[in-house]
Amino acid sequence: MKKNDVILIVVLLAAALAVYGFISLFSAKNTKEAQAVVYLDGEVQGSYPLDHDTSVTIQAESGGYNILEIRDGKADITEASCPDKICVNHRPVQNRGESLVCLPNKIVVEIENGGETEIDGSTK
Amino acid sequence: MGKRVQHAGILLLAVLLLVGIAAMQQGKKERNRYETSFFDSFDTVTTITGYAKSQEAFEEQTKLLQEKLMHYHQLFDIYHTYDGINNLKSINDNAGKSPIPVDEEIIELLKLGIEMHQKTNGQINIAYGSVLSIWHEYREQGMADPAGAQVPPEELIQEMAAHTDISRLVIDENQATVFLEDGEMSLDVGSIGKGYAVQRITEYAKELGMDHFLISVGGNVSAVGAKADNTPWLVGIENPDLESSEAYIGTVELADQTIVTSGDYQRYYMVDGKRYCHIINPETGMPPEYVPSVSVLTNDSGMADALSTALFNMEVSEGLELAESLPGTEALWVMKDGGIRCSSGFEFHEKE
Repeated sequence: MKKNDVILIVVLLAAALAVYGFISLFSAKNTKEAQAVVYLDGEVQGSYPLDHDTSVTIQAESGGYNILEIRDGKADITEASCPDKICVNHRPVQNRGESLVCLPNKIVVEIENGGETEIDGSTK
Repeated sequence: MGKRVQHAGILLLAVLLLVGIAAMQQGKKERNRYETSFFDSFDTVTTITGYAKSQEAFEEQTKLLQEKLMHYHQLFDIYHTYDGINNLKSINDNAGKSPIPVDEEIIELLKLGIEMHQKTNGQINIAYGSVLSIWHEYREQGMADPAGAQVPPEELIQEMAAHTDISRLVIDENQATVFLEDGEMSLDVGSIGKGYAVQRITEYAKELGMDHFLISVGGNVSAVGAKADNTPWLVGIENPDLESSEAYIGTVELADQTIVTSGDYQRYYMVDGKRYCHIINPETGMPPEYVPSVSVLTNDSGMADALSTALFNMEVSEGLELAESLPGTEALWVMKDGGIRCSSGFEFHEKE
């Protein structure tokens, strides 16, 4: 085997490793930014990045509504047509996996991507 | 010639490496993580998280669980009747009149209710419907009209409490019928129905060959196996202090187990600035005020549901004694001052 062949093999190995590392990094690690994803009766209705302050009025199928405010990297339901106001009383959410739920309007706002807590579920 | 063989060898090596990489990526993708949520059962949101080969496979499996859960919802409903099934409302409607034939699942549920009544010294009473319905009515009115919200008069609660004797719930297992001897009494399985259903769909998931799933029906959480990489599911215990910026007081690891929480911070109404939660102590007829929340970790979700309610109805010291006496069962209390108490074997990762 010539010296060049050895170099070629080493280069190929290094390239393969680099490609593998590259793919792994992008498929396994979530580099996407945190966002609040709005689900209406289980269906994705929209998603809003947490680094963009905004106010969204979510129209429920029942005719009711919830107002979702994104401020300072947190998502909060500030107003709602529901009688119980559990969603409004809930603290703002910002970490991955946290959610706001409005049962009467069948709305879930869930934080997806982003860092910190990596919980799979919650009990309440 | 020798050179060609060498070059061919190098080429082969390169191809093998690429195939290897592709295969490794494929192997990782064999099971993806999916999540779904729906609202049609037990007046709450159900979230199912799990690993499946494809979105379609996941949806097919979770759809079966959703249908099963809906079935239990209908069986245990005390407000509506459904075509072709006798449910708890049918039993209540026939109180004092006649025994009615029911699904064996209802009989199993009622037997669990009677068992938990004994185990908890009466802190769980599925025959407490007459009193609970009064509170339900006042709560609904109070939420619709907060300024006019009222607590039910004590005389009315006492009057209704006279019709809550669980020994007058008559189950005939041979005939598969149920009868309430007292015409004024009624069943309400709010403290165990959801947990029983969660336990059953957990078992159903295993029968279907689903082995890495986390089911949450309104925060009543049950793990079917662990995650796909065999690490346990991480479940947050919600902070009952809604003013706090901390969403969770800490986390527990769950694999083939269940955790259920009872608290005063989710369903309640306000009367003159005071909070009245939906859980009513069967001894006093009033909402208990011992702690903001209790979580119970064990192997059976129906037990966990019943126990978390029972412990919520008790002094912490009394509840600790009960929890310690039950094998494989652990409990955690969030105290009024935000402090935490737990039974000796509760493995809890407190938030710093």
